[in-house]
Amino acid sequence: MHLFTVEKYGETTAVQKKVLIVDDSPAEVKLMQSLLEKEGYWPVGLNDPTRVEEAIAHERPSLILLDIVMPDRNGYQVCRDLKGSAEFNSIPVIMVTSKSSVSDKFWGEQQGADGYVTKPFTRDELLRAVRRFV
Amino acid sequence: MRQASVVILTDETEFARLLTACWQAERQAPVVTVLTSDLWREQQGPTRDLVVVGPVRDGKLSNVLRSLDPATAVILCAPADLKEFGQLRTKYPRLVHVPLREDWAQTLLLVAGESLRRVEAARLARQAERAAAKNENHATLSRYMLEMKHSVNNALTSMLGNAELLLLEPGQLSSQSLAQIKTIHSMALRINEVMQRFSSLASEMQEAENASQAETEETDSTISQRR
Repeated sequence: MHLFTVEKYGETTAVQKKVLIVDDSPAEVKLMQSLLEKEGYWPVGLNDPTRVEEAIAHERPSLILLDIVMPDRNGYQVCRDLKGSAEFNSIPVIMVTSKSSVSDKFWGEQQGADGYVTKPFTRDELLRAVRRFV
Repeated sequence: MRQASVVILTDETEFARLLTACWQAERQAPVVTVLTSDLWREQQGPTRDLVVVGPVRDGKLSNVLRSLDPATAVILCAPADLKEFGQLRTKYPRLVHVPLREDWAQTLLLVAGESLRRVEAARLARQAERAAAKNENHATLSRYMLEMKHSVNNALTSMLGNAELLLLEPGQLSSQSLAQIKTIHSMALRINEVMQRFSSLASEMQEAENASQAETEETDSTISQRR
């Protein structure tokens, strides 16, 4: 399973600030993990978008950072499925993607995304988006 | 429209004089060069859109025709029987015969006008084909760049993010290394600006294309309604 967690904080804090990062690129996941760790979040990375529900059930994150362009199951599909699920639809989803056109953003919102961050992003841009929710 | 170029090839001065005079009276007169069969050298001759072959000395006609480029538009306005003309047409598909009758000058001007329009149309078509090929190359390049945008943005994310992480915790890094990382960071931001400009340009072009398409469809619809 492509799950890697960072056991750095106490259980209570971790549950409150846990962020699931779904991106097929391990380098991108690692980068976002590093940026979020420094701010006291507990980032959990997932490279396989077909296992998002499984990861959420296991990790119970407070926020999901979701890439769009991924093999097997793209971010739009993942977001649509999560927002259509009674179990997971309360978890905010931020699309983090290199798809930067207005239509991409519009389509992301149509799938129920709560936020949209375009790559390349700066640390401040990512944190500003994350802090809106956790 | 550019001025057409015509060569009148004849050994009869009166033929050339009359034809030139008729052409000068036209609204759009071509640049006319008159040559005798002795002076005619196809390879060294001036560039022309049309060659009008008038009466030439005996035995010179076949030599003149043989020296012509088959792609050149040629009007033959010299005595030639039907059999001879048929043979000539087989060899020179673009050859048109205007018989030397009473109204030959008017007929020749009409035929020449059409011939020059055809030459101009062919030139414009070639020009359009070249432009289309060039545009196709540019479009391929642009499509490639748009397809690569995703990869470039991902690479930039990594560059920016890792540079920021290093700057947040410089650790044992020297001041020179820190300055270099800052340069990498600012250059990555610069590349990002360029990519964003490229993306907005692509969007603007797409919008313009959509507007043009809508306008064309609207015009087509109006025309069909009128019919």
